[in-house]
Amino acid sequence: MEKELIDVDLSMKFDSLSVLENIRFKVHENEFLVIVGPSGCGKTTMARLLAGLQKPTSGHVTMRGESISPKVHNISIVFQEPSCIPWRTLWDDITMGLVIKGVDQSAIKKRAEEVIKLVGLDGFEEYFPKQLSGGMKQRVAIARAYATNPDLLLMDEPFGHLDAQTRYLMQIEIMRIWEKEKKTVVFITNNIEEAVYLATRIIVFSKLPARIKAEYRIELPRPRKLTTPEFLGVRSEVTEQCEVVER
Amino acid sequence: MEEKINREKYKTLGYNVLTLFLFLAIWTLAYWLIKSPFFPSPLMVFNAFLELLIHGDIEDVKLGMHIQQSLWRIFGGFAAACILGIPLGLLMGLYGRVYDSTKVLIEPIRFIPPVAWIPLVIVLLVGYFRFVFIIWLGAFFPIFIGTLLSVRGVNPLHIEVPKSFGASRFYIIRNIVLPSVLPEVLTSMRVGLGIAWECIMAAEMIGGERVGIGIMILKYAQLIRMDAIIVGIIVIGIIGFGLNEIFIFVEKRIFRWKEVVSI
Ligand SMILES: Nc1ncnc2c1ncn2[C@@H]1O[C@H](COP(=O)(O)OP(=O)(O)OP(=O)(O)O)[C@@H](O)[C@H]1O
Ligand SMILES: [Mg+2]
Repeated sequence: MEKELIDVDLSMKFDSLSVLENIRFKVHENEFLVIVGPSGCGKTTMARLLAGLQKPTSGHVTMRGESISPKVHNISIVFQEPSCIPWRTLWDDITMGLVIKGVDQSAIKKRAEEVIKLVGLDGFEEYFPKQLSGGMKQRVAIARAYATNPDLLLMDEPFGHLDAQTRYLMQIEIMRIWEKEKKTVVFITNNIEEAVYLATRIIVFSKLPARIKAEYRIELPRPRKLTTPEFLGVRSEVTEQCEVVER
Repeated sequence: MEEKINREKYKTLGYNVLTLFLFLAIWTLAYWLIKSPFFPSPLMVFNAFLELLIHGDIEDVKLGMHIQQSLWRIFGGFAAACILGIPLGLLMGLYGRVYDSTKVLIEPIRFIPPVAWIPLVIVLLVGYFRFVFIIWLGAFFPIFIGTLLSVRGVNPLHIEVPKSFGASRFYIIRNIVLPSVLPEVLTSMRVGLGIAWECIMAAEMIGGERVGIGIMILKYAQLIRMDAIIVGIIVIGIIGFGLNEIFIFVEKRIFRWKEVVSI
């Protein structure tokens, strides 16, 4: 039986602009939930609500029955925009969450070394963001998010700025990490192939104002291959749903 | 790599020396052409400089004393401007309400040129504090407004990163806001220092003391001794340049993380 972690039931407006309408879903422990939707439909808004960085205009987001808040829950978010702190070295940036959460020095060191290795940035600990490539900066943000061992890991189009090849490698990487550490992940993308490759479940958002248009459970065996007939079948099914003309 | 940078440095230095020589050559040439008792040559200015340095001015006050006094006044006023301007700018940047509610007072005062206060200050204050007050007035607003605006310009995403980990307000101010605004605060301090120089000259020329670069210039202006006046002017320029360079040096040291953009 799947254990429920998060319960979402909300609507969100910015002034008079309705962005999310009657969005209702649950996130289960250890699942890899992917939200797909067209650009500007409210995915980032959804991520921020899940991170407790914003409050919904009506409804709620709860985690284990309690209203979600970064001060109470252990959540991490990888932002869509590059979010490295320019004046912090890679090491100081990655350990930020651990320091904030009051982890002791030796544990911080151990965990930071672990995640830096995980994203393949060992040797760059003293580098500033200006000395890193775009893909490396994104990996810093991902490592920073992993470091705190979050109960919920939010990723808002984390690979959006990367080239196709790096993106593919990062997808393999994230899968490896998820299978190893079994975190609960909510992953946002507008790339359906990426969604089918990663997800245990996909939620499709409509265009603005976003509603949940469809939901898929993806039961393809792992490691998935982008070219098997089964994969392509699921992928075109989801794609068709995304293309349905909205009434 | 290291060698190349060094070569660049020497090249720049060489060009600057050349510029200086060219300037002195043109000046000398102008001196020969104009031939006026009110237009001294570089050599005459240099002699006046030596005289002021060694024997002092018409009241036997040595150049070093003048410089020391002016710097001491600037230091007082500038320090006061920083001590008040930076925390106040931070406070009002962080709590927009404070600024919005006091705008009616702050904004008009900001537009009063410091020089306009001088007559009032001369009557109300005496000695050192006259100068400190005028310089404070001049340097405070660039520092205060610069700090305030830099706080408002902090990238919201940089604030949300620690926030998403549940950081306290104190942590965010200490680790995000302060390091983020520091470069701009230093820049506004540099601007404030420039204005402090303008103010000290004006204040000294009106202020009725015996010692200070501004007063020295004024004494010789009454005698129409151009060589000594020019010494004063050059001294002001060189000290300003030196102080500015110190700031730039410090900025470079602190902000290793900053991307350097050249246009
Ligand atoms: N702070 C805000 N104030 C007003 N409107 C906002 C704000 N943030 C987002 N919006 C609006 O909400 C809508 C959804 O924005 P959001 O960033 O959530 O889209 P998105 O699905 O993440 O898009 P993309 O895939 O391009 O990143 C947009 O129409 C945007 O204009
Ligand atoms: Mg977005």
